[in-house]
Amino acid sequence: MATYHPAGCMQLPRANAIRSRLIDIFSLIEHLQGLSQAVPRHTLRELFDPSHQRQLMLGDQHQLVRFSIKPRHVERITHARRLMSRLRVRCSQRPPLSLWAGWVLEHPLFSNFIIFLIFLNTIVLMVEIELLESTNTKLLPLKLTLEVAAWFILLVFLLEILLMWTSNFALFWMNAWNVFDFVVTILSLIPEIVVLVGVTSQSVWLQLLRICRVLRSLKLFARFRQIRVIILALVRALKSMTFLLMLLLIFFYIFAVAGVYFFEGYTRSTRQDLEYHMFFSDVLNSLVTVFILFTLDHWYALLQDVWKVPEVSRTFSSIYVILWLLLGSIIFRNIIVAMMVTNFQNIRNELNEEMTHLEVQQKAGIFKRQIIQRRQNLSPEALKSSHSKTDTRTYNVTLFGKRVFAGQLDWETHVHQNLPGLMEMDQEERVVWPRDSLFRYFELLEKLQYNLEERKRLQEFAVQALMNFEDK
Amino acid sequence: MRPKVQTGRKDTEFQAFVQRFLAGSLFKMIMISTISLNAFFVVLWTDYEIRFRLFRLLEISEILFVSIYSTEFFIKLYVDPIVYWKDGYNLLDVLIIIIISIPYALQKIKGKHYPYLNIANGLQSLRILKLITYSRGIRTLITAMGQTAYTVASVLILLFLLMYVFAILGFCLFGAPEMGDLKNWGNLAVAFFTLFSLATVDGWTDLQQELDNRNFLLSRTFTIVFILLASFIFLSMFVGVMIIHTEDSIKKFERELKVERHMILMEEKQVILKRQQEEVSHLMQTQQNVDYQSFSELVENFKKTLQHTDPMVLDDFGTSLPFIDIYLSTLDNQDTTIYKLQELYYEIVHVLSLMLEELPKQQ
Repeated sequence: MATYHPAGCMQLPRANAIRSRLIDIFSLIEHLQGLSQAVPRHTLRELFDPSHQRQLMLGDQHQLVRFSIKPRHVERITHARRLMSRLRVRCSQRPPLSLWAGWVLEHPLFSNFIIFLIFLNTIVLMVEIELLESTNTKLLPLKLTLEVAAWFILLVFLLEILLMWTSNFALFWMNAWNVFDFVVTILSLIPEIVVLVGVTSQSVWLQLLRICRVLRSLKLFARFRQIRVIILALVRALKSMTFLLMLLLIFFYIFAVAGVYFFEGYTRSTRQDLEYHMFFSDVLNSLVTVFILFTLDHWYALLQDVWKVPEVSRTFSSIYVILWLLLGSIIFRNIIVAMMVTNFQNIRNELNEEMTHLEVQQKAGIFKRQIIQRRQNLSPEALKSSHSKTDTRTYNVTLFGKRVFAGQLDWETHVHQNLPGLMEMDQEERVVWPRDSLFRYFELLEKLQYNLEERKRLQEFAVQALMNFEDK
Repeated sequence: MRPKVQTGRKDTEFQAFVQRFLAGSLFKMIMISTISLNAFFVVLWTDYEIRFRLFRLLEISEILFVSIYSTEFFIKLYVDPIVYWKDGYNLLDVLIIIIISIPYALQKIKGKHYPYLNIANGLQSLRILKLITYSRGIRTLITAMGQTAYTVASVLILLFLLMYVFAILGFCLFGAPEMGDLKNWGNLAVAFFTLFSLATVDGWTDLQQELDNRNFLLSRTFTIVFILLASFIFLSMFVGVMIIHTEDSIKKFERELKVERHMILMEEKQVILKRQQEEVSHLMQTQQNVDYQSFSELVENFKKTLQHTDPMVLDDFGTSLPFIDIYLSTLDNQDTTIYKLQELYYEIVHVLSLMLEELPKQQ
């Protein structure tokens, strides 16, 4: 094959790109340097097998492996499916208990039953607390039923946790909601055990732990998807605000410690009519006072109280209070609001992005179909009029000249609008090329670029010649 | 004294060493632990009992901290004395060193019982601000917030002007020496405080009650108008302005990140392309067995090894069917346009030649 572009001709970027793609796909450089086969011949599984791996590495001098990775949208594979495809499970006589446990947990009846029990628990607790003080003997059987119900619910929750453990022990701990469930159940179990064992009630702690029964209602949060989404959004918003909160803490610290020193005179004053006397006495109180000022509550009363003491300089105390109000309450609070708003907007945009992604995919699919239809419409006519060149031209002229697409756009604009979407589309279809055809394709494509460039230049020559007609 | 030449510094090696030390993580660890320890001690000293009992520890730790801070200052100054003053965080360091030295200076100058000594002690809590230099997250936050500072300042100035107008109005209306409410509107400063209290709607009903007790006309209108203007409109405007600016700065930040990443990606791609081209030309030049004239001749042998039955599975866009369809359609379009143009040219030339033939006939 002779050279198809004269040496010293300009380099077209497109042609260069096509050539480098060719080189890349066929790994020509390694081949021309006599190095490797350059055809993907091994799979990942073979690579992980140690003996095969050694063989491969010894054969390839550079010990280089090239991977071809393609991101795919994999739908969620449940644990049950994974289990089912394991050899151990398929070859055993009876299915393992975890499969049954997983089936029970996924069953809608069971999950609805659990939700119902959580509601029942809340109601039982409410009624129990109301009846706790009354000594009406007629209500005694009611109290008994309530107690039995509470115990029953606790046992069912424990059973659920045991089921989850049999289903998959390791995965249980990786999910934060499950850990929360576990902690709540154990917390509400402890007082019962303590009472059973017979330790006489150290009333305060046991009361507190009994109250943890109430926390069981929080298990509801894990069940409903909407609440989960909101909580996740909140957690994300908080995470992005960590530095802001750290900065706020630093400012709290600064003003608290400074407050102790600034208002030393006020704390040590012997006047009897000071309302907020102990508010700046030590660091903890000062911290609480700073927080009170942050919420703008009775700050003027506090300031006027401080002014009653003559030892405290008015200027410094007012500067302190006003500065903290401006900085903390007005500026910081609004920054927090602003960051929350932007975060929620971002989350909403991300959710929208998924929707727009789907929309773009759909549009790209429609575009693809349009193209295919077009080629199909064109080819029979092109075949018909292939004997006469002028006919083809006129046919093409009539076809393309009047071709206006849906939306009144010409072909170029239509392509330009839809091309990015098409490029980003999830390529689920792969094209199988025969090797020599692929090589020829790339070669021809590169030649085509140069030919097009030449045609353009000839065109310009023709125009120039036309323009140069002079009137003599 | 280090010798300094006009064009450069003679002690470049040591300077480089010190610079490396400053940038290293050991230095950061030391500084962060020192500052945190200092902050904790400042909290401890607020309590009189602890100060009384651990007096010696207090003195020694104070000396330690001051020495560490001044060493850091001198080292950083040594590395680059002129550029040092341009960085804001270095100025913060200098400010904190000055703040640390204020109590001692005051004690020396004004004696031990100067009433404002506790204020100087209170300022020591600012030492924790040095921690900001070592935390990148807070630094980016502050730079982002710093861009909103201008807007914040303008809103505050506007609020101040509004309060000024209403303060003078209030003073004239309600601050008259006899009948007026002297405690809240007696002089301009107190009037300002009252108005600020109204703006933050804290305890404003009590203030209003006092004015009501003195039977002022218009007091209610005054108060309500001011509260609407300052609290509802101004402070809400504050929120709105901050939201917009935070959004803008975050968007700008993300855009810059994206552009940066894009540029890096493009550069890497260019590097790879260049390397490929160089290798190919290198190969073409070093072939001494047969003189290949072009790239295609070079790969002639390779092409012969390609078989039609060998499959290659590709899924990139350049070899996919939609691309081929689109490209061929676009090419067909181009062809038709050029044919049309050619027809037009022929026509032009035809018409011109006709005109040319007619010309001598007319003459």
